[in-house]
Amino acid sequence: MARIRIERVSRRFGGVTALEDLSLDIAHGEFLVLLGPSGCGKSTLLRTIAGLLAPDSGRILLDDSDVTDLPARDRGVAMVFQSYALYPHLSVARNIAFPLRARRTDRAERDARVAEVGAALGLSGLLDRRPRELSGGQRQRVALARALVRDPAAFLLDEPLSNLDARLRTSTRAELTELHRRLGSTFVHVTHDQVEAMTMATRIALLDGGRLEQVGAPHEVYDRPESAFVAGFLGAPPMNLLPARLAERDGALHAVADGVDIPVGLPVEQPEGSTAAEDSGRDVLLGVRPEQLSVRRDGAPGGGLRGRVRLLENLGGEEVAHCLVGGIRVAVRGTRPLGVAVDDPLALDCPSEFVHLFAPTSGRRLERRARDRIHVPI
Amino acid sequence: MSALVEVARPAPPGALLPQRVRRRRRTVAPYLYLAPGLVLLAVWVYRPLAQTAQLSFLSWNLLPTSPAVPVGWDNYARLFALPDFGASVLRTLGLIAGLLPFTLLVPVLVALAARRVSGRAARAYQALVFAPLLVAPVAGAAVWSWLLEPRAGLVNRALGTQANWLQEPGPAQLAIVVITGWHVLGFAVLIVSAGLTGINADYADAAAVDGATPGQTTRWVVLPLLSPTLGFLGLMTVLLAAQWSFPLVDTLTGGGPIDATTTVYYLLWDYAFGSFDAGLGAAAGMVFFAGFGVVALLLVGLTERLVVHDS
Repeated sequence: MARIRIERVSRRFGGVTALEDLSLDIAHGEFLVLLGPSGCGKSTLLRTIAGLLAPDSGRILLDDSDVTDLPARDRGVAMVFQSYALYPHLSVARNIAFPLRARRTDRAERDARVAEVGAALGLSGLLDRRPRELSGGQRQRVALARALVRDPAAFLLDEPLSNLDARLRTSTRAELTELHRRLGSTFVHVTHDQVEAMTMATRIALLDGGRLEQVGAPHEVYDRPESAFVAGFLGAPPMNLLPARLAERDGALHAVADGVDIPVGLPVEQPEGSTAAEDSGRDVLLGVRPEQLSVRRDGAPGGGLRGRVRLLENLGGEEVAHCLVGGIRVAVRGTRPLGVAVDDPLALDCPSEFVHLFAPTSGRRLERRARDRIHVPI
Repeated sequence: MSALVEVARPAPPGALLPQRVRRRRRTVAPYLYLAPGLVLLAVWVYRPLAQTAQLSFLSWNLLPTSPAVPVGWDNYARLFALPDFGASVLRTLGLIAGLLPFTLLVPVLVALAARRVSGRAARAYQALVFAPLLVAPVAGAAVWSWLLEPRAGLVNRALGTQANWLQEPGPAQLAIVVITGWHVLGFAVLIVSAGLTGINADYADAAAVDGATPGQTTRWVVLPLLSPTLGFLGLMTVLLAAQWSFPLVDTLTGGGPIDATTTVYYLLWDYAFGSFDAGLGAAAGMVFFAGFGVVALLLVGLTERLVVHDS
């Protein structure tokens, strides 16, 4: 039962910056997923919360107490490691009992807790086995049982599903979500798997290069990515990003590039005393999700994006067409069959409400402010 | 009649090499890889062993001009009749017991302490501990004989004692144990350090998160996971203690005083090259070979049962 606050934490390893001035407030009872590519600092952040790594600067607060200088054993958080780190010389029962033994809980209570937690996770028949006699899924549950046995303030999970096969991962995902719902504790889960993040999280914190790119509910992060990095990380295939320039067409702003001419859903603003439309001529990064693009059937002229099909991928129920639009790869995803063939020219449309704009240098999202100006959100 | 037809399974793959050829290829390859090692073993270990066995049934004074006379089991009978044999075995056991702290206890303490030192200091520290192993035993022994000199020696002056270290049985035995221990300590520390490095750091991290103090982590997690290394070092000590001490015994005490430092290795060397009784030396060698073989088998079986292996 804990709120975790990370305040301006930085950490360097030699010349590499793992965390840079990072702040994050994790509310009590949240299932927060730290998501990002390898080397983004997500595991470093988790180990800093656990107390296994000291930050170079900044503070970690558990509830309202500063635990920055508190050793891991006194923080009262539990952690599940990617390797599970089950003590190989101890039986399952003694592995689960380890946190209680370290706290000098008396034997009768220890045995009762182990039996209880073991039963809850379906480990009752395995308590006398050694870790090496267990399957991957069983080991994962023992690691979870060891975390559960002492009612920790928060659960820190470091890629706990990455060593499971695909089918087991899907079922374990659901079990973890169910466990979180039942316990109501704070969970911090590190992963590089966007499906895990989208399905399990109440909030996702996306990291890149030791910095937060965006924090929000899964639908917010997916539907309204705040940076080109977030847009390009989520989705399979991820959002198409094309460099373009804004131009005025019949009183509306269009994103224009080689093979691209698409309305961006913004009316043209004409500042007083000026004949040129504001924002016209500005360079942008145009973002469109593959599933929002539709193939123009009738071969009619027009279409926001025009290109040629290079490759078709059959996903079973769906199909992905990889196209080249003005030299840039653009993926289109839709129900199979899409009705196109390799080397076909094709025209693609996208409703303007699904068109995203990003600043080409900073990569941050461009939006119209309340005053109806395009601006870079801070 | 049904109009439904079952879809056929995918067709089996095409022709394979005949089974016999494939099997022969698979059986020959491992022996080819083993061949160089086997040849070296045969030339440098098994051939001398066979020659020793042969020699143990002959009476010969090592002179090329005098003939070696077959004497049957006579050498073995003499060996067991002589009192030296049992006494040297007991002394060897004492030496092993004296060396175990230097190969197990001290290395673990030093290696655990060395983990807290980092960077360049750690390297210097390791080099200091390892250095004695690089000193040739005979050169080390020469320096030690000056240090242990009864009147002007540094050891007596530092300790304020008047012991005649190498000429009294008790002190001589102690000196041999300590000097051998000093010599192999670096090697043992190196092995233990390597063992510690081989333990996945996640275990100690997990123990810390689970609430264990550093002391508990060492006792409950690190030492059990170090047990294969400690088992190996224990085995090495039992089997090799007498060999490690041999050059020091030979240089410092010559097996004396009154045979107080004569271990099994020194005894068999003394029989062969001190008393020029090659047959008796070879017989002692064969008996110790068989004895150490049995001890090694027992110890390997014991450590296999006691130690835990990280899967």
